[in-house]
Amino acid sequence: MTTSVGRRAVIAGGATALLVPVAIGLSKSASLLGGASPTDGASANAAAGPQAAALGAYLKIDTDNNVTILIGPTEMGQGIMTGLAQLVAEELMLTWTQVRAEHSPIVATSPNPYANPLFGAQFTGGSTSMRGWYLPLRKAAAIARDLLLAAAEALTPTGAWTLASGGQVTDGVHSYRFADLVSTAATLTPPTSATLATTRNAIGQRLPRTDIPAKVTGAAVFGIDVQVPGMLYAAVVHCPTLGGTVASMPTSSRGALALVNLGTGVGVVSTDTWSAQRAADSIASSIKWTLPQNTAALDSPSIAAKGLSLVASAIETPRVYEQAGGIDPAAALAGAAAKIDATYQLPYLAHACMEVLNCTAVVTATSAEVWAPTQAQALCIPTVAAITGLPPAAITVHTTFLGGGLGRKFEMDFVTEAVKIAKQVGKPVKLTWSRKQDFQNDKYRPCATIRVQAGVDAGKAMSALLYRNVSPSINIQRNSSPGNNPEDTGAVAGATDLPYAIPSRRIEFVPNPADIPLGYWRSVGESYNTFAVESAIDELALAAGADPLAFRRVHLSGDPRALGVINAVDALSGWSKGPPPSGSARGVAFLKGFGSYIAIVAQVSNSGGKVKVSKMFCAIDCGVAVNPDQIEAQMQGGVVHGLAATLWGQVIFNKGVPSVSNFSNYRMLRLSEMPVVSVSIVPSEAAPGGVGETGVPCVAPAVANAWAKLTGARVRNLPFYPGATMGDG
Amino acid sequence: MSSTLTLNVNGVARTATVSDSGMPLLWVLRDILGLTGTKYGCGIEVCGACTVLVNGKPEKSCEFDVGSAVGKKIVTVEGLADDADGRKAQAAWITNQVPQCGYCQPGMLVATVGAMKAGHHGSEIASELKNICVCGTYQRVSKAVQTL
Ligand code: FES
Ligand code: FES
Repeated sequence: MTTSVGRRAVIAGGATALLVPVAIGLSKSASLLGGASPTDGASANAAAGPQAAALGAYLKIDTDNNVTILIGPTEMGQGIMTGLAQLVAEELMLTWTQVRAEHSPIVATSPNPYANPLFGAQFTGGSTSMRGWYLPLRKAAAIARDLLLAAAEALTPTGAWTLASGGQVTDGVHSYRFADLVSTAATLTPPTSATLATTRNAIGQRLPRTDIPAKVTGAAVFGIDVQVPGMLYAAVVHCPTLGGTVASMPTSSRGALALVNLGTGVGVVSTDTWSAQRAADSIASSIKWTLPQNTAALDSPSIAAKGLSLVASAIETPRVYEQAGGIDPAAALAGAAAKIDATYQLPYLAHACMEVLNCTAVVTATSAEVWAPTQAQALCIPTVAAITGLPPAAITVHTTFLGGGLGRKFEMDFVTEAVKIAKQVGKPVKLTWSRKQDFQNDKYRPCATIRVQAGVDAGKAMSALLYRNVSPSINIQRNSSPGNNPEDTGAVAGATDLPYAIPSRRIEFVPNPADIPLGYWRSVGESYNTFAVESAIDELALAAGADPLAFRRVHLSGDPRALGVINAVDALSGWSKGPPPSGSARGVAFLKGFGSYIAIVAQVSNSGGKVKVSKMFCAIDCGVAVNPDQIEAQMQGGVVHGLAATLWGQVIFNKGVPSVSNFSNYRMLRLSEMPVVSVSIVPSEAAPGGVGETGVPCVAPAVANAWAKLTGARVRNLPFYPGATMGDG
Repeated sequence: MSSTLTLNVNGVARTATVSDSGMPLLWVLRDILGLTGTKYGCGIEVCGACTVLVNGKPEKSCEFDVGSAVGKKIVTVEGLADDADGRKAQAAWITNQVPQCGYCQPGMLVATVGAMKAGHHGSEIASELKNICVCGTYQRVSKAVQTL
């Protein structure tokens, strides 16, 4: 299934922004008010808790006065349930132990109170959840607070009701618990605005995550854990060559209860996942596939060669996504005192979420119910409707916990397959992809070839930047149609709007079309552009004879927040205080992105000719730091994600056949290789910025810059060590 | 051939009818017994998400034939709370706010408890842990095991 609107376009605000009125979730007319009580995937397995009453779309209050906050975005490890719950806890003066959080329902009707107010759709990606919800959810909670106070006044008119801590209101003499007020409050007309709290009892505090207790007992329900009575289990076989479709297939197989032609693969149904996988393996060789015509468009060495030629040649009409300064950068470069001309190459990458793709579905003649580990709630119901022919109102989709999303679980392929299988067998089915299917049928991070030409004037000030990104485009691949050749400014995200003072610059994008399926990989365009930009800035600083950190500071002096993270990372790493321990070297990288600012210093040494990353110093300004502990966690995780990609991450395609099949040949970081990550959060009252993706892009350039400093060897092609396996030391 | 086996899981005798005694313990736990805490990650003994204790020793259940588990004591993440070491590890995980997505954590915790039962402490436990965590919680895992 292709989506009509790209995620990046939507999340970047490319689509028309639809601002959900903040009171909508609390409006009497909202269909959810007092309606069916929302649940999440956990309900399929767990018994219901104490009777809870809804106050609008975002709050449920049970008879024990526990407050459950319904969270629109998906919890996939980033801690968003906790962060958003903190906003509500602040406005309602809740005690943290009475706070619960769960996924909201997926709503297909409009307006959807759970749609991210930034872009008006229920999607989770682009590090937008806190950015989108920070004010709207606080306002909704403040309105709920005023409704609860009005309810107390309606029950006991004293004119003196105020909020008290622990989910109560008091008039100085009497008090009510929220639980005693919720039914009355639900009958009142909510105000359209309310004053926000000025306290910082929850916001800015290192509160423990609401989801961790269930994640240490095994009780947390991920998509793969959903159990429905009478459920069957399914596996899937896709064509070993990307893009192949089923030409013919067996009609039955030993160990399989049903075989389902999915067009792009064969669903194999059995009594348990292992039997389904075994049956899938046994029929794999007897499926005949129709292979795609143009396998050269599925061959990564050919695509990379094409990239190299496009990046070097004169192009009649490159897409110019940024042009600044009166002087042509090429002319400015001709007169530069020192300059660089460097080409960087980055490979295709897999997502490798810890939880493989899976989905559980029940389809009857009149209804469908689906449990999906999804980042794209807004696409689920239309997807199920298209397959089943059911009206949206007959379809229920639950968001489960995600064992990592990383952008892969934005896609609908695994949901589509589960629904098709369930529809055909007429019984509840849980589809689980094998790890091999997961690696070999990914929507891969595009490869990229990037040429950077930059120069400084006689005063070591940057005079010009000429940047060309040549890469397959996610947006063009998804949304091209005859007569429609869409733009993809996301392809140069991380290279445009640089806060560096560069008087003359041109940022070009040249599509390198290929048929390898592409997707959004944690930090998307910045995952490759920041490597090129920050490696090039380093190379230019060295060419100019300047210290790389000081060089950045000079060129960022016009942006106080950028300067703030540069100074913070300097202090944290001790960069200006003196050299690192002998045998090691430091490298720095900077990014303004996802609504935040970050600078990372990597400290590396040489271990038998290979880079060993011992320390990573991160300074981040993400505006109001809602939960500093979780921001630190995201920086630690971002470093791990970025480091595995820097050192080893690569998928090669030989005429459409991916080179990787499991973690064994897609090397991940282990505990023993973990650098010590220290984090400095720059105090800020700016609007919250993103943190889930922000930690990733600077890792590769910081490490490459440090390695160049240590050894003189400049790594311009990632990964550092292609072909690595988990067996390597 | 389908057969009915009795397994001792978390101190309880459980009966499982399986299609083949070569079925990996992982899928018997998850799909037959409904104990979904133990996770599938790779299926080839690389990632550790499926780790359970068999007679106190960490084993990768994804390639551990259920037939060989008969007569042995199996402990999964769901059983950790019944064990002093398990409770200690869980508490350390909460204190240090270790999990992110949480998917690898059942295996990480069970492997930790296995290392504790082998007499390891602190960084000795850390050096036993080969589990993959894609979210990158390693720094907090290291910190948590320092207290064990
Ligand atoms: S699933 Fe068993 S080690 Fe990965
Ligand atoms: S916490 Fe997500 S994989 Fe470890």
